[in-house]
Amino acid sequence: MSMSIDRRSLQYFDWVFLGIAAALVFFAFVNLASATNAGVEGGMSDIVRRQALMVGICSVVLVIILMIDYRHFERFAPLLYLGSLALLAATLVIAPETRGARAWLFEGRVQPSEYAKITLVLMMARHFHRSPPDPSTGLRQLVKPILIAAPPVALILAQKDMGVALLTLLVALTFLPFVRISARAWGGLAAAGVGAMTALWAYGLRPYQQQRILDFLDPERDPLSSGYQAMQSRIAVGAGGLFGRGWMEGTQTQLRFLPTQHTDFIFSVLAEEWGFIGCIIVLSLFLAMLLWGLWIASSSKDGFGAMLAVGLVGTLFWPAVINVAMVLGLAPVIGVPLPLFSYGGSAMLAAFISLGLLLNISMRRYLF
Amino acid sequence: MMGGLGDGRLSPGGPHAAEGRIGIIAVGIVVAFVIFAVRLFQLQIVEGADLRSRSEQNFVRTIRLEAPRGDIVDRDGRILATTRPAYRVQVIPNELRSGDTTFRALGQILDEAPQELATRVGKPRGRKRFQPVLLRGDLGYERFAQVESHRYALPGVVTHIGPRRDYAEGASAAHLLGTIGEIGTRQLALPRFSGYDAGEIVGQFGLEARLESHLRGKAGGRNMVVDVAGREIELLDEIKPVPGGRVVLTLDADLQRAAEEAFRSKDPEVSDHMGALVAIDPSNGEILALASLPAYDPNAFAGGIDSATWDGLISDPWKPLRNRAVSGEYPPGSTYKAVVAAAGLSEKEITREEEIFCPGHYRLGRRVYRCWKRGGHGNVNMDAALEGSCDVYFYDLGVRLGIDRIARYARGFGFGTFTKIDLAAEKRGLIPTMEWKRRAKGEEWIKGETVSAAIGQGYNLATPVQLAVAYGAIANGGRVMRPQLIKRFETWDKQVLSIESPEEIRRVPVSREILEVVTEGLVAVVQGEEGTGGRARIRDIEVAGKSGTTQVVSLDLVKDMEPEEIPIRYRDHALFAAFAPAEAPEIAVVALVEHAGAGGGTVAAPIVQKVMARYFEKQREREAGEAQPAPEGGAEEGVSPPPPPPPTSTVTASAPAPDDVTLAQREQP
Repeated sequence: MSMSIDRRSLQYFDWVFLGIAAALVFFAFVNLASATNAGVEGGMSDIVRRQALMVGICSVVLVIILMIDYRHFERFAPLLYLGSLALLAATLVIAPETRGARAWLFEGRVQPSEYAKITLVLMMARHFHRSPPDPSTGLRQLVKPILIAAPPVALILAQKDMGVALLTLLVALTFLPFVRISARAWGGLAAAGVGAMTALWAYGLRPYQQQRILDFLDPERDPLSSGYQAMQSRIAVGAGGLFGRGWMEGTQTQLRFLPTQHTDFIFSVLAEEWGFIGCIIVLSLFLAMLLWGLWIASSSKDGFGAMLAVGLVGTLFWPAVINVAMVLGLAPVIGVPLPLFSYGGSAMLAAFISLGLLLNISMRRYLF
Repeated sequence: MMGGLGDGRLSPGGPHAAEGRIGIIAVGIVVAFVIFAVRLFQLQIVEGADLRSRSEQNFVRTIRLEAPRGDIVDRDGRILATTRPAYRVQVIPNELRSGDTTFRALGQILDEAPQELATRVGKPRGRKRFQPVLLRGDLGYERFAQVESHRYALPGVVTHIGPRRDYAEGASAAHLLGTIGEIGTRQLALPRFSGYDAGEIVGQFGLEARLESHLRGKAGGRNMVVDVAGREIELLDEIKPVPGGRVVLTLDADLQRAAEEAFRSKDPEVSDHMGALVAIDPSNGEILALASLPAYDPNAFAGGIDSATWDGLISDPWKPLRNRAVSGEYPPGSTYKAVVAAAGLSEKEITREEEIFCPGHYRLGRRVYRCWKRGGHGNVNMDAALEGSCDVYFYDLGVRLGIDRIARYARGFGFGTFTKIDLAAEKRGLIPTMEWKRRAKGEEWIKGETVSAAIGQGYNLATPVQLAVAYGAIANGGRVMRPQLIKRFETWDKQVLSIESPEEIRRVPVSREILEVVTEGLVAVVQGEEGTGGRARIRDIEVAGKSGTTQVVSLDLVKDMEPEEIPIRYRDHALFAAFAPAEAPEIAVVALVEHAGAGGGTVAAPIVQKVMARYFEKQREREAGEAQPAPEGGAEEGVSPPPPPPPTSTVTASAPAPDDVTLAQREQP
């Protein structure tokens, strides 16, 4: 197995995709600087410096990933998958409880669930590549994907990290369009989904989580406590107006009315300071990145590459969609970071791995 | 190519099927982003202005800058009411790091139990954690400095300086100055409070209420940018407050103090006198002193009165909140005889020289009215009748005049109507007429009632300030002056805005000559051998005055009791009204002692004497100061010793029986 990059790969290197991603990282950086500006005298805040360092490290990782032909990952998928399960289990055992969850290792620096998404996608892609769904097998074709998806989701649930568990489940569900079952079976699945949601509400959610969902349904219900975050976020977004209040000029941001504004609510900062126009630009870049990812999938001559690319698009799409929906008051407050934008090393690294693999698939599309 | 890679199988279900499925995913993604765009449009464009204003409410905190309330000073510029900085200590619960240590240290400085402080702060949740909790509203400067110097060790403790009303003289002139308090919800609805906000402090009683618009000033404001914790980040803009205007009163703080002091008992066993005193300058109606006792400390109201103190004040049976000088209505008693005398002379029902025989009683029809002097005064002319306060003389004169003519003169002296003093609680008193009785009681006037009315009893009611105005009119040759409390209005920095001028309300329907005759009779009351007002004498100064004693209850209730056995609330009121110097009056004083249990000449005259003595003492000091700069000159002779009890048989300390109690009612069924 060679670590070298084929000259042809370089020739077909996907500069467009990289360009889109780089533009997003740039905007994310500028935005984070403003989000963490409050109370910092001159220069950049520690958070921005740390994030810069992280982007540097991530870029190195990305280059390394580019050098490994993605097809090797098919072979190593089970190993990586089991490794991430072990890490999740270890986290469950040894990690201290932080804010009600046991999700972080190494003093909060590593969040294994972020990587579990990617290994899950690898495993799913391998499965869908090796045994394409056969309509004649009916619902039986769902058994293996469920068996692949269930362990990480269950372990993350056990960590009491509801948001990420839901996210991981949704990433697995990205493959749902590829199953080939009858219309009746689809109906049955939908019913089962609703049943599962109800059961989750009744038994799986803790009171504060139920609270958040109620707040989402009626944000003015209790604006001073649990609905506060959603309320302030909406105010920040709306205050942005068409052109925004200007970089470092958003009062909601600079006076810290926004909760966790450099992590989960980073998009409100963007919305307040850059307005409708800035939001549309960034969302368009996101959309372009995701659609380009799907184009990589469909242009891959290799089944595993195509499936993997779809799954990787899922790892980027779902957190983005949940996060932005939350910030815009379209979804309850769920602690899911916005890829590339939110401060946080594990999420950044996971996003870069996804980007690296997508570039990897893209540049090797003509190797067949 | 390595094995297992690139086997060419396109999955699942062939390339075209897979591409179709990818298309479905793409559509899903696009739909999600379109929804976001629509939602952003809704929040940022449609609701944008509204949400932006809500964000401004978030971060702009408008802080009201209270205007210091204007000073009230006496005629010489001495502070009676001012506004001083009050140092407040507050705690922001969120910033309390180690509550126990902070409360222990704070408890030591504030001299309070740490637990007590901790419970007052409590454990607020949510945004309440950022709101300061007031621990002490008015810290002395020293303690404030202590807190300030320990601030570094007291995280979460903040200090604040705000205006607080301060009545420099404490309870002195409390009723006159009045009180302040938070504006009530019903007041807020009134048009004159249209520019006020809830929670504002306004004058509630007395001059504080009457002069509200002048004293209030104009509050300023400051817009601050605050962060989520309520910390002030920067100043946006500020409008400076304009302090309230200054008011110079006609009051003389020295006389005021002397008046209140005169009511105080020397003997700790005996409680202080209750009552009222009004001192007025007859020439212009300026009030020099206006006291009502018992009093209260208006400072208790300045920081919001606590309920225990308030309950104590309003449930006190002696009603310390009431301003007896203007709201207390009392029968004027024998002080009224001066008016009846003037009426008799003016109506030519009697001459100065005409004598009436007083056998100690007066017969009208079948009824007998007694003179206070059982043995009778014998033959008395007007001077003697006033000097000895002969009831029989005035019974006779009253009957000659008839009630309606007496009433006409009484009104002429300002009785039975408002004096228009600048105090809202003023009462108008009562001067009975035949018409009044028909209307009020539905009965005809009985002639016998004229007998009581002629000596100021019966239905007659007057306020101390009315009496002072009436005696002022006798003193000044017949001008009924509006009692004036305010000399001038100034801005806070002493620029004169307007000067109040004396106002003559009416002229008494009595000639100057007749008033001089009456005055001579009043001089005899104080200076004469038989006078009932000897205790009002001042060395070198001729005083004109008249005592009065009025019953509170029918004598039947108390006739078998020794004077000291009579319950306080049944004891007689004592009155004394006087002016001096008799030839060119400068001051008129009326003292009323409620439930004195002794006559006006015994109890009230000495009080009047002390106030007048203080007045002339000050005057001499001033003259001495002007004549020769050496300060010792005037001070020596300043205090004139209280005159010895006059050598009259009627007024002695050992004779606590009312000197001129009218026995008119005793004879009535």
